Amino acid sequence: MSGGAGTPVSEQAGLPRVGEHGALSAGKAVAFSPKALARFEKLLTRYPTKQAALLPTLWIAQGEFGWISREAVDYVAGLLGLSPAFVWGVTTFYTMYNRAPVGKHLIQFCTSISCHLAGAEEVFAECRKILGDLKPGETSADGRFTVIEVECLAQCDKAPAVMVNDDDFAIITKDNLQKFLGGLR
Amino acid sequence: MAKVTVDGNVVEVPNDANALEACRAAGVDVPHFCYHPRFTIVGQCRMCMVEIDGMPKVQASCTVPIRDGMVIRATSEKALAARNATMEFLLINHPLDCPICDQAGECQLQDNAVAGGLPVSRTSEPRRLTPGYDRTEIGPHVIADMTRCIHCTRCIRFCSEIAGTGELSLIERGGHAIVWTHEGRILDNEWSACTADVCPVGALTTKEFRFRKRVWWLDKTSSICPGCEIGCNVSLEHRDQVVHRFLPRVNPEVNDFWLCDHGRFLAESLNGRDFLKPLVPNGTLPSAPGGAGRRETNWGEALGLVHEKLKAAQAGSIVALGSANLSTEENWLLAELFGKTVGSPNVEFEADQGPLRRIPNRKAVGADGGFVKGTVAAPNAKGAEAAGVRKADGASALGKILAGSLVPDVLYVSDAAFSARTADPAFAAKLRKAKFLVVHARVENPLTDVADVVLPVSGMTGKDGSFVNVQGRVQRFDAAFVPPPIVRTDLEVLLHLGRLFGSFETRWTAAHVFGKLAAAVPAYQGLTWEEPAVTGLPPSSSPAAAYDVLRPPRTSVDDTDKLPALAGKA
Repeated sequence: MSGGAGTPVSEQAGLPRVGEHGALSAGKAVAFSPKALARFEKLLTRYPTKQAALLPTLWIAQGEFGWISREAVDYVAGLLGLSPAFVWGVTTFYTMYNRAPVGKHLIQFCTSISCHLAGAEEVFAECRKILGDLKPGETSADGRFTVIEVECLAQCDKAPAVMVNDDDFAIITKDNLQKFLGGLR
Repeated sequence: MAKVTVDGNVVEVPNDANALEACRAAGVDVPHFCYHPRFTIVGQCRMCMVEIDGMPKVQASCTVPIRDGMVIRATSEKALAARNATMEFLLINHPLDCPICDQAGECQLQDNAVAGGLPVSRTSEPRRLTPGYDRTEIGPHVIADMTRCIHCTRCIRFCSEIAGTGELSLIERGGHAIVWTHEGRILDNEWSACTADVCPVGALTTKEFRFRKRVWWLDKTSSICPGCEIGCNVSLEHRDQVVHRFLPRVNPEVNDFWLCDHGRFLAESLNGRDFLKPLVPNGTLPSAPGGAGRRETNWGEALGLVHEKLKAAQAGSIVALGSANLSTEENWLLAELFGKTVGSPNVEFEADQGPLRRIPNRKAVGADGGFVKGTVAAPNAKGAEAAGVRKADGASALGKILAGSLVPDVLYVSDAAFSARTADPAFAAKLRKAKFLVVHARVENPLTDVADVVLPVSGMTGKDGSFVNVQGRVQRFDAAFVPPPIVRTDLEVLLHLGRLFGSFETRWTAAHVFGKLAAAVPAYQGLTWEEPAVTGLPPSSSPAAAYDVLRPPRTSVDDTDKLPALAGKA
């Protein structure tokens, strides 16, 4: 018996959707690079307990590995002296930790109220269509783009707003969508 | 101590109590799920809502530390309405599968819904489903059904705070949350089934008990776990002479609220009976191996034969083996009969050194790392010694028999399974060298195969008695059900045999024998069979030491909430 039920997810054909419960395997052991490890060590000095440093440590892990895999959870748990289940519980609580590999460009469409009024839903749908009829959370066949829907990006004055990885883009409409995507390539 | 008013009644509670505990102390049963006396407070379930004067909104009472003069209204209209609403929310996503749920009958959600919920459901939406997370073996003993989970997180806190292993966590968030392990890991620790105990609903159940018996049919007998010398207090739950499970009985001094998996799943081993009538040799001695040369008979003939052989034998050549599995009373009778009446110097017992068994008990923090620990794989090694049965070693009679330097005329084994070694035919063959071999037995093993006389006994379910645990605490266990008529308890066998020597009377019960034992053994001075005196012998076990008397709570874990509030906290 393996962990029970995370198995249904990993047994699914094709790429799993972001947001399933079981932590996916990266297929290999993972470890921080020396640079990331130095950042982690520095981080620890800023928190009263190791547990308190869990969120930023996961963030470093995501920066290192691109997503939080089963092995990354085990690794972070080992670094911080926490149980892997606890780390995975925290990971799944927050939406900004990727639980499956994402493309080079993680395109995050805001669909909260201002962007919604400015037509974000249509832009979101159009974008997915252009990239190959992707469902929300899926990655394009060439592995370059992952499209997801997010809550408010705090750019209501420049709706519809989009964030690609860590960069903000303002007023992305159907008209300039192709140009926007082209700029990413 | 602080004075708190609950529904008009003033109660005194310790300063570190919370409002929920104050309500319980005042006898007001505030429904709750996530609160547990041994876990940190999380205020997760929002079920224990009460009104507190000076606070504008209803409060989850478990999260409110009391202060002197606090006025709590636990059954006001506002409090009841809040609890009713919480219950309705909890039931929105709870499947109505009580008819096929093993928790039904001992389910806190069911109880609280009946006591305080709405009579009808106002929802028509589909309920939450958790495909892939139901009917799953989440560990070697626990089955998880996440559709039933109400997210109280007791199991998570058990694993992280009591067991210290942290296998479980709340995965996802809000209505999607499930309790699960990290991928590739299982819920496997020494006390994993305790998570099913603390689960207020049927989300976690034990594989071994699942679908065995509806809980309301179970008769409950207070008993002691026979697994090791810790002597965890258990509720032996049975029906129609079949033992179905052990549940921990709360005893803050010993096992607290817990029971280890090893002990818990010994319950089924108490079932089964291979011998219904005494067996005696059918012709010449020694009997052929495999029991071929034996026939069934009645007690009169069997004990008559044993009596005859004992009288004919040299006292120094008689060896009697007590057992750490038998009660102190039985060991004491054996020591009296063979040591005093027969005059044999060889009354001894042997107990297996088992692997370390631990039971979490935070009272033991510091001294023993928060655990009561035991290494003897039998419940009553200390009791056997206290009763005057010597511990066997290489130089004692048992050691000599095994070494081949002693061939006793009579070897009287009062427990055919006194050691794990009795499962080894080579070991039995060594004991078989005795000229006459008598065993008490419930189930067959290599030793009963070669014995001359087999005396059928009831085992633990059919008798009462007392054990002495590793702390030196005397603990009584009660008979669960009456064995078949011709099967006797070990105590009765010894009494009947003793009567043939004119030293015992057959009308004695375990209580009588305990009285005689208490009069004869200094360490037992002042202890009586009736509760609450048979509760604890302190570890020092010196007669002068005061026996800290703690009434063993006669409750199983499902109604721990009705324990006197704050037991062990003040």
